Amino acid sequence: MKIAILLKRILDPEVSPHKFSLEPGATRPSDAGIPKVISPFDENALELALQLREKSPGSTVTAISMGPPETVEILRKALAVTADAAVLVQIETDPGPDAFGTASTLAAALQKTGPFDLVLAGRQAGDWDQGQVGSLVAEMLGFPCVTFVTQASPSGNGLRLQRESENGYDVIDADLPLVLTVTNHPGNVLRLPKVRDVMMANRKPVTTIAASDLAAMSTKIPPLEILALEKPPAVAAAEIVGGRDEQEIAARLVQKLQELKVL
Amino acid sequence: MPPVPTRQIYWNIAGHDYMYLFLLVLAAVFLYGVWRHYRTWQRGRPSPWEHRYRERWRRFAEQAVVQLRLVSQLVPGIMHLFISWGMVVLFLGTVVVAIQADLHIPIMRGWFYLYFQSLALDAFGLVAVAGTVIALWLRYVRRLERLRKGLFDGVLTGLLLVILLTGFVLEGLRIAATADPWGLWSPVGYALARLFLAAGTSVTVMRHVHATLWWTHMILAFVWLGYIPFSKLFHLLLAPANVFAQPLTPPAQALPAIDFETATTLGAAHFEDFRRKDIFDLDVCTECGRCEEWCPAWVTEKPLSPRAVILDLREGLHSMARSEGEPPLVAGGVIRADTLWACTTCGYCQEHCPVFIEHVPKIIDMRRYLAMEEARLPDAMEAALRGIEDRGHPWRGSRFSREDWFRDLGFSALRPGEKTDVLYWVGCTAALEERSRKVARAFAVLMREAGVRFGLLGDQEQCSGDPARRMGNEYLFQTLAQANIQSFQEHGVKTIVTTCPHCYNTIKNEYPQFGGVYQVYHHTEFLAKLVEEGRLPAVAGNDLNSGENNAPAVTYHDPCYLGRYNGHYDEPRSLLTDYLRLDLSEPELSRRDSFCCGAGGGRAWAEEDPAHRVSIVRSRQLMATGATTIATACPFCLPMLTDGVRGTGQEGEHVRVMDIAEIMIERLGWQDKVAPQNTITGGTEG
Ligand code: SF4
Ligand code: SF4
Repeated sequence: MKIAILLKRILDPEVSPHKFSLEPGATRPSDAGIPKVISPFDENALELALQLREKSPGSTVTAISMGPPETVEILRKALAVTADAAVLVQIETDPGPDAFGTASTLAAALQKTGPFDLVLAGRQAGDWDQGQVGSLVAEMLGFPCVTFVTQASPSGNGLRLQRESENGYDVIDADLPLVLTVTNHPGNVLRLPKVRDVMMANRKPVTTIAASDLAAMSTKIPPLEILALEKPPAVAAAEIVGGRDEQEIAARLVQKLQELKVL
Repeated sequence: MPPVPTRQIYWNIAGHDYMYLFLLVLAAVFLYGVWRHYRTWQRGRPSPWEHRYRERWRRFAEQAVVQLRLVSQLVPGIMHLFISWGMVVLFLGTVVVAIQADLHIPIMRGWFYLYFQSLALDAFGLVAVAGTVIALWLRYVRRLERLRKGLFDGVLTGLLLVILLTGFVLEGLRIAATADPWGLWSPVGYALARLFLAAGTSVTVMRHVHATLWWTHMILAFVWLGYIPFSKLFHLLLAPANVFAQPLTPPAQALPAIDFETATTLGAAHFEDFRRKDIFDLDVCTECGRCEEWCPAWVTEKPLSPRAVILDLREGLHSMARSEGEPPLVAGGVIRADTLWACTTCGYCQEHCPVFIEHVPKIIDMRRYLAMEEARLPDAMEAALRGIEDRGHPWRGSRFSREDWFRDLGFSALRPGEKTDVLYWVGCTAALEERSRKVARAFAVLMREAGVRFGLLGDQEQCSGDPARRMGNEYLFQTLAQANIQSFQEHGVKTIVTTCPHCYNTIKNEYPQFGGVYQVYHHTEFLAKLVEEGRLPAVAGNDLNSGENNAPAVTYHDPCYLGRYNGHYDEPRSLLTDYLRLDLSEPELSRRDSFCCGAGGGRAWAEEDPAHRVSIVRSRQLMATGATTIATACPFCLPMLTDGVRGTGQEGEHVRVMDIAEIMIERLGWQDKVAPQNTITGGTEG
């Protein structure tokens, strides 16, 4: 099984709110002094890819990421947890929220470096949280897509999948080729790399493809453009519930919560 | 001419030459035992050896001759002094006999015979008997908890007592039967002789009993001696050797660096990966249990006892002739992984081991294997390491940046290339952990008021690497150390002051391994210096300030990495008592006996069963002083003890935990200077 895993490099979502800043007129947040990490759900997808490789011998995992040259850092992290190959689809700046544009470039890259039997992606990126790229790539490649997958194992010629659903989980048998978008689960927390593999990862090659060299999949959708970006004003509203004694305070609190439809 | 004082050797022993046969057997057994051990010691990697013999002999005199560590527990210490010195002198007595009997050099005569061979030997024999009796009393009557009460523990001591007593009886019989004119010089033997004579024992009977007893005594003594290399008795020889051979720079304080270019195994998977000295350590253990007594993991029922670590390794070492084909120690049932992760690296064990066994470096060596070769760590610790890797600090989910704590105080971080003489190294915890951030503010304000010009790295600061190193990820540690050393270079840093004892230890003792040599101060050390130089105002009021109802105002918790690791016991205390004039009440466990707060060695990020928290145990000990303020000097101890005090329930409601810098701010009345400032003033450095 040839597995591809799509990774996005994003600003550390755990950064202090004071550090997160927008220059006036800028259409993307400033990234000075903020660490960049693999988008969290992509880490889960990466782990799932590695587990699948272990369960079906002879498989390979190729990590693919789109971004400026520094994106190599997160590809090295994928190599450190023993991804077999890494491909950088080079563009000038980190991809913005244009899901169609991103998906078409990635789909083209997958076609060029593939063919792959299985493509994994996080269910949504930790910065723009749109959750579109995975399914769009499936559409463009003409692969079926299963979303919100938590676990997967080989079964027959395809995969048996567990996917999160509204009231529990679905179990699905699916044939290859296939695209999966992955959500977090205690069973797919990304493993810690072994130090030897970290050291090796620094020596493994990373294939670089310039996005401009790819014949982007034709899309009739015009690229998304951000006209303005603003930080919402921080509003802190607090109301102190008073009363004569604990009982009265509790009763009033319950009443308030019911009014707010929290209870 | 008066006759020369002496005695006849073997006066009553026909065929005493057979003794040499026994001696030969003893020697063979003994040498075999030693050789067996020697072979296993060779399994380790070579250990570094610092010469500095003067220092080695000094330590030998203190710890092997005077046995200071042993005597720190008075009764057991005296017991040991008695037995060990008794036996040394008795052994010398035997050597004297051998010189006279076998080398035919007549030295057993005259004053030497009377003073040494008779009087001194008797006195030291008595001392040894007393020691043995105390030993048995401690083990079986006082039932000292740390002492094991197995069959052999009793038999070995009991046998020794029998040997000593039969020696005295033999002497008594000889004095009585030969009417020894110098008998009085052997007071114990003489008293026994009087007893035998008073009982009307005939010379024939005495000679008969003497002969039988002599052989019994000899054979028992030989059996005991021959057993030495096969039991914990081996410490008779190995302990003094280990005192002499101890590393002069403690490896727990500056863990040995791994050279990743050449290392074949990262950390210790098998015995062959340990240093020889570490393997030697295993055989030295006397099983005394001093290491375990206040091991925070052991006391709170975690699956770790430092004694058991040593003894389990020892057993593994001797039952596993070679490691080829064997699973790694942590996978093969010799040591459990959760045992290794339970250690806070507090250093209590090795500070108290009377034979200078070093537990922490061995535990870290095995952690290194787990963390780097197997990438297997407890989840919570793994998350902390990942945090360090991804964002340079272990405090996942902190809402702060490293520059948030000082912005409103008017400080700013060093600009690229900007030089500073004194760098305040804040450390992740004081910068990012809610409670500890107040310490950074307090200390920065104190320095500013004292007119110290200092720089801050702000976002350029990364974890010092201590947690990574102690959790076993040496690779990550080295990456961080190198990056930080580079920042120091960029800003021309020569002096570093830090509020964190862990960063302090690492930067001061471990960065030199990578070429980073600086003058490093802990903030209590630095503040004591500022006070001494008169750069901080005197505290109002001359009286020792007591708490409510005459309770002591304050007690002090020694952070492990400040106290035991680096010997700074006095500066924090002098700030509290001499400068702040507070009434300080010491907890029962303080200074080198201090009990860990539970946060070291990566344990700050470990899951801990709420019913068995180290921090609660420590908080109770501190609260037992009656003080309502617990002072400390470490950003890990601070939140740990704050939680611990809360965990004690109602008693803890009126107790506060504070860093010494915060207490200084309070006593100086400078609270408004550290309170959140609304207007941001534009200053650069303080
Ligand atoms: S360092 Fe502390 S926690 Fe670790 S074994 Fe020794 S006494 Fe126990
Ligand atoms: S390691 Fe040291 S302190 Fe612990 S039992 Fe052995 S000899 Fe005693």
